[in-house]
Amino acid sequence: MKRTVVLVLLLTLVGTAAIAETRIRMASTTSTQNSGLFDYLLPIFEKKTGIKIDVVAVGTGASIEIGKRGDADVVFVHAKEQELAAVQEGFFVNRHDVMYNDFVVIGPPADPAKIKGIKSAADALKTIAASGSSFVSRGDKSGTNTKELSLWKKAGIEPAGQKWYLEAGQGMEKTQRIADEKRAYTLTDRGTWLATKDKDKLDLIIVLEGDPVLFNQYGVMAVNPEKHKHVKYKEAMEFVNWIISKEGQDAVAAFKDKNGNALFIPNAI
Amino acid sequence: MKLVIDHIRKAYDGRTVLKDCSYAFGGSGVAVLMGPNGCGKSTLLRICSLLERPDGGELHFKDNGLPLALDMQLRRRMTLVLPRTGVFKTSVFDNAAYGLKIRGFEKKLIAAKVNEVLSFVGLLHKVKQNARTLSSGETQRVGIARALAIDPEILFLDEPTASVDEENTGIIESLIGKMKRDGRTMVIMTTHDREQAERLADRLLVLEHGVLRETLR
Amino acid sequence: MDSLIQGFIKSVDLIFHLDPVLFGIIFLSLKVSGLALLIATTLGLPLGAVLGLKHFPGRDLAISVMNTLMGLPPVVVGLFVYLLLSRKGPLGFLGLLYSPTAMIVAQTILAAPIVTALCHSAIVNVDPIIRQAARTLGATSGQETLAVLREARYGILSAVIAAFGRVMAEVGAILIVGGNIAGYTRVMTTTIALETDKGNFELALALGIILLSISFIINAALHSVQQRGAAVPA
Repeated sequence: MKRTVVLVLLLTLVGTAAIAETRIRMASTTSTQNSGLFDYLLPIFEKKTGIKIDVVAVGTGASIEIGKRGDADVVFVHAKEQELAAVQEGFFVNRHDVMYNDFVVIGPPADPAKIKGIKSAADALKTIAASGSSFVSRGDKSGTNTKELSLWKKAGIEPAGQKWYLEAGQGMEKTQRIADEKRAYTLTDRGTWLATKDKDKLDLIIVLEGDPVLFNQYGVMAVNPEKHKHVKYKEAMEFVNWIISKEGQDAVAAFKDKNGNALFIPNAI
Repeated sequence: MKLVIDHIRKAYDGRTVLKDCSYAFGGSGVAVLMGPNGCGKSTLLRICSLLERPDGGELHFKDNGLPLALDMQLRRRMTLVLPRTGVFKTSVFDNAAYGLKIRGFEKKLIAAKVNEVLSFVGLLHKVKQNARTLSSGETQRVGIARALAIDPEILFLDEPTASVDEENTGIIESLIGKMKRDGRTMVIMTTHDREQAERLADRLLVLEHGVLRETLR
Repeated sequence: MDSLIQGFIKSVDLIFHLDPVLFGIIFLSLKVSGLALLIATTLGLPLGAVLGLKHFPGRDLAISVMNTLMGLPPVVVGLFVYLLLSRKGPLGFLGLLYSPTAMIVAQTILAAPIVTALCHSAIVNVDPIIRQAARTLGATSGQETLAVLREARYGILSAVIAAFGRVMAEVGAILIVGGNIAGYTRVMTTTIALETDKGNFELALALGIILLSISFIINAALHSVQQRGAAVPA
């Protein structure tokens, strides 16, 4: 009797393991990983579908490459142009918008450069430059810095070396604090802003938000099974469909960082 | 300029150093003050040269019969050469020139005067040397040159040859002799060397138990 | 090891090609520390003289305090000045935080006790007979003091050089109050810290070489002045 019980238990275990052992690989970015989103979302998905997702977090470009090579089943990044191009090339299928976070321009409540009311971020920067009000840059080639520099380019301005342009060369939180002390403007991501504005007692406000160019659009896409026969297309599509469904979108909206701030805004629908 | 002191008294920490010193110094010649070491000779010189105030008594300076106020102006008409001299850590020239510099004399005048006094004391050949590298005798001579540069009407010398070798003692004594003959400067000096006192003095004074009295040779 | 040698070669290259960023940083360092020294000496020399020459009640206490202040840890000074100058602090209305002025303030606070204490020491070591000698020659009390200061000139110069060396090498206080902003408050020491952190060894090494050289020059100057002062018997 005892031997039968053990045998049945063993078989059940193996059987369950065999069923539960559906794993797919998702390529994404380090900043998405660092936000803690996946630690929150993926267990919900796994509980519902039994599919376990292993995240490979690298830079945006590298993620797309991994997908092109067939070393991942699904790709989740925030580089819409590059995503669409890769779909055009036939490497990916079923690309969808999932969510976005955004950058905002913050500055002193007195708003000396009179930015409030301006809709375009590039115009706002142009106005700041013209007024000679101070602007603090990350100056460290980070994602935020790259976005900031692209805006200056759009505005047709070369800020480097100008008296009002201060390059901190340090992280976002420090850059915000310098802006606070110097009564200056700066570009920051909403997540950091929300997480630190009360903690650091920053005497700053959001002077510009909502310009689509400031949106950081996240997209999901499955690797084309016709390109790579071995990819787990069915399971990948389960994730894609889930994350753009109401349930998945609600989960994204429900995700809060350790300070209770919602970092991402779902926009699949 | 004539100096008269009247019942000068001075005490330090309750110890009376000068009890009753009175004398009319006149206006020329060499007055030598004798007495054992530590009896108060230096104190009396400092009081007479207006570097210290007495506890009691009076000092009278008269110029052609007119009394002079005991102020900075008067103080600058005399000088005291300390026993240890205290030469500055600079050239012999700069030492000799000091008194004239602080009185605002112009460079040419200073150079001429320094030349004169250094020749007088026989140290012109060492004009550029650092005064601290001189022997103790030469140091005293620099001190005297420094003092003479300002043309003092009264020159106080406190033990001018006390720690000086024989050769320099001779030189210094002959300098004092020259000053006596020139008659422009009244010299009031102290010594504990009886023979030196007798050699140099026009008037001989003794300070004993805080009391000053003139003595004859 | 290879990247280290590469970095070293590139750094020497930066120096010889008079890289403008590099030299901008060097001049800023010299400017900040130089101005701090100027102010510290203007305050410290007279203070050292007063403590050395005048007798007043509480003098001994003042001298003890001055000597203790020499051991102020630079980062603590930085913290203190930060709290003072930040917008939320008592002097916040001046808007001085994260500026070269803030750095000069912090370094002046660091340098002043050193200048004061070392000048005081030099002045106190002047034989009192010097003052007396000046007096006998008709010096006013101001002229007496000048005579003493002139006598102590080697010691005073040593004090200034020593304090300058100390603040040129300092990084904690100026990092905190300056904010290490490029071309504005980034000096040799803070750049070395930043660039090493980022793994950019070329610039850090170039600055390290220059800073070492400056440090050697300062110490050689100090040594030479002290020799000159000691060569003449006191």
